[in-house]
Amino acid sequence: MAEWKFLPFAQTALKNLFSAPVTTGYPIEPAQYPDRMRGHVAICIEDCISCGLCARSCPPGALTVDRKAGTWTINRFDCVQCGNCVNVCPKKCLSIVPGYTQPDVTKHSETFIRPQQPAQAAKPGAKPVNDASKCVYCTLCAKKCPQEAITVDRAAKSWTLDGEKCVGCGLCASSCPKKCLTMQ
Amino acid sequence: MEHLNTIEPITMAEFMPAVIRFKMDGWRVVQICANRVPDGYEMSYSFGKDYDMRTLRLTVGDDEKVTSITQVYPGAFLQENEAAELFGVKIESIDRDYHDKLYRIARETPFKQKG
Amino acid sequence: MAKQSIVPFGPQHPVLPEPVHLDLVLEDEVVVKAVPSIGFVHRGLEKLVETKDYKDYVYIAERVCGICSFGHGMGYCQCLEKIMNIEIPRRAAYLRTIWMEMSRVHSHLLWLGLLADAMGFESLFMQCWRLREKILDMFDATTGGRIIFSVNCVGGVLKDMDTGMLLRLVDTINGMEQELRPIAEAFLRDVSVGTRLHGLGLLKADQARLMGAVGPMLRASGVAYDTRLLGYAAYDDLDFEPITATEGDSFARCEVRINEIYQSFNLIRQAVDKIPEGPISVPVKGNPNGEHFMRIEQPRGEAIYYVKANGTKFVERFRLRTPTTSNIPPMLDMLKGCQLADVPLLILTIDPCISCTER
Repeated sequence: MAEWKFLPFAQTALKNLFSAPVTTGYPIEPAQYPDRMRGHVAICIEDCISCGLCARSCPPGALTVDRKAGTWTINRFDCVQCGNCVNVCPKKCLSIVPGYTQPDVTKHSETFIRPQQPAQAAKPGAKPVNDASKCVYCTLCAKKCPQEAITVDRAAKSWTLDGEKCVGCGLCASSCPKKCLTMQ
Repeated sequence: MEHLNTIEPITMAEFMPAVIRFKMDGWRVVQICANRVPDGYEMSYSFGKDYDMRTLRLTVGDDEKVTSITQVYPGAFLQENEAAELFGVKIESIDRDYHDKLYRIARETPFKQKG
Repeated sequence: MAKQSIVPFGPQHPVLPEPVHLDLVLEDEVVVKAVPSIGFVHRGLEKLVETKDYKDYVYIAERVCGICSFGHGMGYCQCLEKIMNIEIPRRAAYLRTIWMEMSRVHSHLLWLGLLADAMGFESLFMQCWRLREKILDMFDATTGGRIIFSVNCVGGVLKDMDTGMLLRLVDTINGMEQELRPIAEAFLRDVSVGTRLHGLGLLKADQARLMGAVGPMLRASGVAYDTRLLGYAAYDDLDFEPITATEGDSFARCEVRINEIYQSFNLIRQAVDKIPEGPISVPVKGNPNGEHFMRIEQPRGEAIYYVKANGTKFVERFRLRTPTTSNIPPMLDMLKGCQLADVPLLILTIDPCISCTER
């Protein structure tokens, strides 16, 4: 080992001694978050249809959805910010936004209540109904279904819905090119 | 280039000779995995040499005893203890047997019951 | 025979943030035997796979460990993709490769910092972690998380990197490469560091192979074995050779890891050059049925992922054999005959990740 050096780090150490700090003065200066940062989950509750897909897909079980009351509850202390709920949401009413949640001394949850609205096309609890006379069996609805609840057999000209699996998100109805599906 | 990655079922009688043959040919233990099947266990012993991997699949009954391979491969003791402790596989004469003290958990054999 | 005494080591130790406990049997100051015991942080994450949808479990798989997080998610996804015969888009494979190599840089810089800290070289430790911060910022910008990325999904990846972002990444790593040189010099040329690491914890190639050492630990003993050469993700398109050293001591392990950081920079640049346009994921329908053993090269060495699925949405068994599980037995061999004062440093040179090991 001929190339041993004595104090090769001294130059770096001296440079650091006389240069400005690389850290930021965080509590005084605000933190800069990148756009993609997964900080916390936010909901646009008006668009929520209480399908409950987010609650079922949540790995730590931090979400609860009450279909009757139209509420969406998140326990922010259980949430691990994986973003799975945002990915599965059929109405895209959930989003994950920068900024950390506040610490606290007790665990508690936050509830969002959907404002009461007049009946819409996709009212909570509605299931798709197929008008067989208009249907062309294109299978688009089956492809769009996040729950794989719709089975379409093009050869046998059949359209079946698994009522157990269906969450009534209305994606099938909105994607149907012939508008033969209605949410009832 | 495709490398070997196979799962080969093996009987208890053929098992130890096969392990010793692997050792003589210079294979190493890659992993040991237990899996619960109805009234028994599936033990998968993977051996590797260069980029090839061969897995021996041993099916054992609930109370059947498995001979430890730690006499041949001393490095396998951690994974054998783990299988014995989490699944309750009866592995005999492990060199460095922890007797259920590897993991500090409240329940005995938590992975034995499904669900 | 000198009088023997037993010194308990860990699970809490100033230089080792990993919860491993060793009973060290000493003769005077020399270790004659070491009995490991783990199990302080067992969480039963493998069991959880039985009650979670196989698509949701990705998020749990990557939370097994904070450092090899990306690889765990990727290994699990690749296993399921193999079982379900899904061919992921090439762009997704390249993105996975880029993130995997970024993880390697981040893990090795973390280890270098810890090594400096274990030697008492505090300013070098700070310098390593300061450099690591840049790769963490890049992770934050590209995936949205600094440590846990949540970008893998069965069938591809969830987030794309546009050209601007890829160029920014290359800029960052070019800058980092320049900054790494004085740090590498301090590790590899400094007299005091050299005296501390040379000849410490010798592991011969035969013994390493027999005891099942993997990753940088095996390569430092002169065995050119790198699971990346199996050609998963986009590694089959990239040009690289396993990095080895011959001595098999702590210094060699340090050297291998430093050279692997340079290699990862090179691989990221190659991948950014070659990355094709296209979709980043394919839709996945149906449930998996079958079993597969998947091997990938984590920063700490070869990791094995095994998934057995039974045609329902719940996977029957998920097994993860982490590199540390394989590296503990050779470490025990290494400890025999060493000085008590060298024990923390020696444990550190295998880059232990006990939380991974216990899952």
